[in-house]
Parts: sequence; structure tokens; C-alpha cells
Amino acid sequence: MSMPPDTLPADAGPTAPAATAREAQQPAATPSRGAPQATAEASRPAAGANCHTDGAAPQAPAGAPVIALAGAPNVGKSTLFNALTGARRTVGNWPGTTVEVGRGAWTIPGGAVSLVDLPGAYSLDPLSPDEELTRDLLLNPDPAQRPDAVVVVASTAHLARSLYLVAQVRETTLPVIVALTMIDVATRRGIDVDTAALERALGCEVVSLDPRRRTGHEELDQVLRDVLDAGPLTPRGASAVGDHLSEAVSDGEQPAAYPMPDPTGGDGDGDGDSLARADERFAWIEHAIAVSVTERADRRQTWSDRIDRWATAPVIGPLLFLAVMWAVFQVTTKVAGPMQDALDGFFSGPVTDAARAGLGAVGLGGGVIEGFVTNGLIAGVGMVLTFVPLMALMFVLLAVLEDSGYMARAAVVTDRLMARLGLPGRAFLPLVVGFGCNVPAIAATRILPQARHRVLTALLVPFTSCSARLTVYVLLATTFFPDRAGTVVFAMYLTSIVLVVLIGLLLKSTLWRAVGADPLVLDLPPYQRPTVRLSLSVMWLRLQGFLRTASGIIVATVCVVWVLQSIPVVAGESFGSVPVADSLYAAISRLVAPLLTPAGFGEWQAVSALVVGFVAKEAVISSWAQTYAVADPSAGRVPGSLGHQLLQTFEVSSGGHAGVAVVAFMVFLLAYTPCVATLAAQKREIGMKWTVLGVGIGLIAAWVLSVLVFQVGRLFW
Amino acid sequence: MRTATTTASLDGLRPGARVVIRNVDGPAPLVRRLAEMGIRPDALVTALHRTAGGGRVVDVAGARIALARSVLRSISTEPSS
Repeated sequence: MSMPPDTLPADAGPTAPAATAREAQQPAATPSRGAPQATAEASRPAAGANCHTDGAAPQAPAGAPVIALAGAPNVGKSTLFNALTGARRTVGNWPGTTVEVGRGAWTIPGGAVSLVDLPGAYSLDPLSPDEELTRDLLLNPDPAQRPDAVVVVASTAHLARSLYLVAQVRETTLPVIVALTMIDVATRRGIDVDTAALERALGCEVVSLDPRRRTGHEELDQVLRDVLDAGPLTPRGASAVGDHLSEAVSDGEQPAAYPMPDPTGGDGDGDGDSLARADERFAWIEHAIAVSVTERADRRQTWSDRIDRWATAPVIGPLLFLAVMWAVFQVTTKVAGPMQDALDGFFSGPVTDAARAGLGAVGLGGGVIEGFVTNGLIAGVGMVLTFVPLMALMFVLLAVLEDSGYMARAAVVTDRLMARLGLPGRAFLPLVVGFGCNVPAIAATRILPQARHRVLTALLVPFTSCSARLTVYVLLATTFFPDRAGTVVFAMYLTSIVLVVLIGLLLKSTLWRAVGADPLVLDLPPYQRPTVRLSLSVMWLRLQGFLRTASGIIVATVCVVWVLQSIPVVAGESFGSVPVADSLYAAISRLVAPLLTPAGFGEWQAVSALVVGFVAKEAVISSWAQTYAVADPSAGRVPGSLGHQLLQTFEVSSGGHAGVAVVAFMVFLLAYTPCVATLAAQKREIGMKWTVLGVGIGLIAAWVLSVLVFQVGRLFW
Repeated sequence: MRTATTTASLDGLRPGARVVIRNVDGPAPLVRRLAEMGIRPDALVTALHRTAGGGRVVDVAGARIALARSVLRSISTEPSS
């Protein structure tokens, strides 16, 4: 049996935000080392292939040596990466994987090298896709695909734990430098390391440095130069182990349809042979420690421990966690909300007016072009930009939670609860955020180290009822159930929670049967003050990535809807000035409507609202207003309030069970695709295939549930 | 689970108890991962406070590791001399 390391630490803690930043999907401009430009479907990652990058950071010239930066989680690896490369990195998925790596140019004597920031891993025995990538790169049997050297970052405070990776890398000929970090923490704990003795014991260069204070880097630069010039190392004693691993790598399976390596994959994990190898390595490490480390005997409780007694304690810990979640939720709704509204008003008001005036001045006013510019382009771009404050706040919050070390504690506290859905504890956060807005919630899934957890959570987030859906619930509930509106809205939120759990259980039992039941084993990094610079730079990087990937989809969809609403299907109308009821849009809605007759709302007005709702739930009400304002004015209907008109529509479509039909409609609204921005975020985080699957799951769940509600409900009501 | 008078699982210890690990049970990948984190036979660990969900935090060579109760139960220890 394989033990998927769901709850094992990844690159959490001090360095996590940078390590988990995953940026845009565009291929970078400069492929290095002549490897082919790989796509997301590329089956084999190679050391020389470029990851998808945001193209912002400078890269080392093609042909420059490739240096891998490896290390266990929480050793300050990404901080060192930032220090070496001036924090200018390109971050993206490694080709063919959902594993993200950072790249940057590192200037050493004699020229720049390309530094690749590998995911945090304790060893080269893959328990996760992230670790598998690290192993693939470092133990690749083809020397051309291997990096030219590897810098293994090791925490002086937890040296033994950091050296397992060194033990494995030293079984190959790969030149290796051990970079000792966290000297200050070690000193405070009375740990002293004799680097010269450690060098002799490990048989490779050891450089001690402090990435947070940026010392020791010149030495590292020079040592790397020397190591590159010196060429391959002689493997330490256990060379047979290296061969064994190398063979395993060449047999390694790559993900097929979806970029999810089989979590149960892996080679010979359990056999006594590999345990014997592990024992040999531990003995080697123990010897190295014994000759180089002196440790003061006394062990004091740190202030980190004192906080943890509360932060992870029964009762108090969960309460504190809920308070933190409440704060995050408040920031993403109450603080970002007004900014969102202001931006929205700015684009639909002054910007649109200015565009109209401008177009009018050049003789293009009142026509198709004005319609396209104001209702298509400006509306679309405005919608993208309204998400900016929300996403920026979300990214800063995530960075602070991770950098401070609290996220690991939250994971401990929520572990048991989330384990039932086959998710690690920290998956709780995106799901909570989803009740505010799904878009930052999807982005928040990157706090999950495991790709399949990111996918599963990103598929569940759309079922959390965001605040945009609330506006529609309130309108419908106050119109149809004026006396019980509050109860109805509350029931929608309960339904949302139930849906998350049910869909979660369903996905868990179908997509990944192996997921779940992993016991908690989690490294708790010491608390530390989040670094403002790191938090802001991570925020900026992620925000750029969001804008780059999401804006296209959102603007395009808004424009498509506008075009469909502008194409007349009735003779005598002209493009751009057709009433919605006579547009291609209404015609398509009428075509789809019969599908929803079993749910009690098979009328084009209801269906077209759902189509608009696909773009954004905020637009549902305004689209209704538009629909009913222009619908069939010649039929002699007394124009009533929007609520009155809706009542009529639902009465007709449901055959007299308007109340039940409205509930069914609300359930549909809850379960299907939240908005195109969520899809854009999903595409960015988990890829197109999973996003499409998610849309399918949402539509099926929405249809089945709403039909169920209507068919059962109308028997009683 | 107590098999000998001096052996106790990590779960049963009182906070602050300093012990030597005798044996780690469980699926091989879990045992290996624990070993990588320093939790392996002959290692010296200190049991710290309990966590929500029934687990506890242990001090392993200065690192703080949160472990689920099931994991704690699979680790047998002896008092350190």
C-alpha cells in the first residue's frame, strides 16, 4: 500500500508563498540548453526544457549551466533562491506536470547560470508528484537532461533531516554543494556546526550562509564556479543505490490523460531492500553529524511552542482558526466589496460615458461600434479589473498566513474534518473564502502542496455559494417568499455546504480512491514575522498571472454574449439595436429551455438569465431587468415590477407551482458554473481538462438537483 | 499499548516526557517519511502538547512535528536514560 503524503509538509512556512507561486501559462521566450519547447501535454520533463513562465524575469543565456536548487521543506530554499537571483524569477508548471518550479538567472564569477528552484522534498523517493519531479531531474539517467550541479539547501537547525537528500544525491556523480541556512536559529538553540568536518564527511563542498540577511553569497558564488569547473563527483560508497534509482526513473510512469501522476505509483517503496538502503543512508548521515555538530544539552521551550500550545490546542485551536477564517472572509467581502463596487461604477459610469462621448465625437456614436465598445469591451475589461482589489488582498493574506507559519497550524486543527473529504486540513481555507468569492478561493488552492488536492478543492469551490449568488437569492426569495425570505436564503447556504460535502465524497470515491486516510505528519516551522517585501512581491507576481490568464476569457465571453444579444433573428430588426427577445441570444435560450421544463423553469427568460449567470451572477438581475423591460412591449402587458414579471414567468413555466420552480431555479443557480472568472481561475490553477470536467459536474448536479426539487416539491406544494 | 513495563507508545506519554524511539510501525512509505523527519529507532524525542483532533506535537532534534493519534500509537518508546 502506498501512503499518499497528503498531510505531509511541502514547502510551507517561511518560504512557501514564493515557492507556491504559479504564474501564467505562456511559454517563455528563451528555451535553454536547446531542449524543445514543451507544452503542458509534454510527456517527459527534461532539465533543459523551459517551464511555462510569465516571461517577466531575465533568464540566463541559452546554453548557460543549469543549477538545481533542492532541499527539504522549511529550510529557506526559496528565500535563498530570491537572494541569489534578485527575487526575479519566472514561475510556472514544469512541462507535463502540475508541479511548479521557479527559474532565474544567477550571476557567478565567469557568467550567469540558470537556477531552477525545485519543489521541497525530504528525499528522492517520490511520494508526491512534486518529489517525483525532483527525483526525475536529479537522477535522470541521461546526463544531458541533468542539471550541471545541484545546490542542496540544508537547515543548520535541523541538519540530520536536511541531509537525507544529500545522501541520495551523493550516490550519483552530480556535483553538489550543501548550503547551510538558519545558522541564527541553530545558534540560538546551541547548535554549532564545523563546516570543514562536515565537508570531509559528506565528500562535497559546504557553504554556510544566511539568505534572510544575505551573507555568505560571494563564497557560494565562488564555490559554484569551482565546482562547475571541477566536473563530476565520485559517488560515495553506495553507488548501486544510485543505479537502482536511475533505472526506476527510466521506468517511471508519466501521467496520461490528466496531469496527475498516479499517487500509488512509485517503485519498491516497501521492500526490505530499500529500507536497508535507507538505513545505510541514515548511518552515513549520523556519522556526518557526529563528527561535525556539537549541541548544547539544555532544551528550552521556545515562544513558538508557547503560541502553539494555544494555536493547535483542542477547542481553543479550532476557535482561533475560525476567528482567522472569519477575518479572511471579512477582508475578502467587506473590505474588497466596496472597492469592487467603486470600480464597477467607474467602468459602467464615467468610462462608458467617456467612450460614448468619444465615439460620438468621431461619428461612431449610437451604432454597433458603440455597443461593442461599451457593452462588450469596457464591460468585460471592467469586470476583470473589479477582481483586482479582491485578488490582491487574497494573495497578500495567503502570503502572510504562510510566511508567518500559521497555515501549518491551521492544517493541524482542521485535519480530522477535511480528512473525511480526502483533503488535508488547509483545504478548509479556499472553501471558506469561496463563500465570499470563488475566484480568489480557486487561487487559494495553491496553498495545497499536492496537485490532486488542488484539483479536488478547485472542483469543490464552485459549490460554495458566493456573495454574487446571494443577490439573486435575495431578489427571488423576497419576491416569492416575502415572509420567509431569510429562511430561504439561509437554506441555500446550508444546501451549499451539503453540496460541497456530497460532491466531495463523490469525487473522492470516483476520481481518487487512494486519496484520504493519510494520517497527519506535519512539520511545524517556527513562527516568524512575515516579510513585507516577500508578501508584496508574491502578491504582485500572482496578480499579474491572474490578469494575464483570466482577462482574455472574461472579456471574450462578455463580448460573445453581447454579440449574441445583438444579432436579430426577426426580420426588420438590425444588428446592435434588436430587443433581447428577438435576438439570437433569446432564440438559443428558447432552444435550450425545454431541457429545463422538468425543473419547472423552461421559459426563455429564466434560461437566458442562467446563460448570463454563466458569465457573472451579478449580471443575472440586470439581465432580467433588460429582458423584461424590452420583452414584447406590443403585447399589451401592463409593465409591472420586475418581481411581478418574474412571478408570471415562473407561474407559466411551472404550471402553477411557481414557488417550487423558484426554489429549483435557485438550486440550479447555486450548483452550476459560478462565473466565467471562476473558470478562468480554474483553468489557470488546474488546467483546461479539469475545468471542463468541473463545468460538466456543475451542470449535471444543477440539472439533477433542480429537477429533483421541482418534481418532488410539486407533489406537496 | 504496553508490551513491556518500560515501553509506551508516543500517544500515552505525558507532555514533557523525553524518550527514545524503539520501533515505528506502519506502511513502509509512512515509516520512511517519519525516518526522514528524524522519527526512527534510537532517535531521542520529547512529547509536547496535545493538538485538536487527538494528535500531539513532538520535538525531534529541535523540530516540531505534529502527528496524528494513529501515528503516535504506532511508535513505541522507552524512557531516555
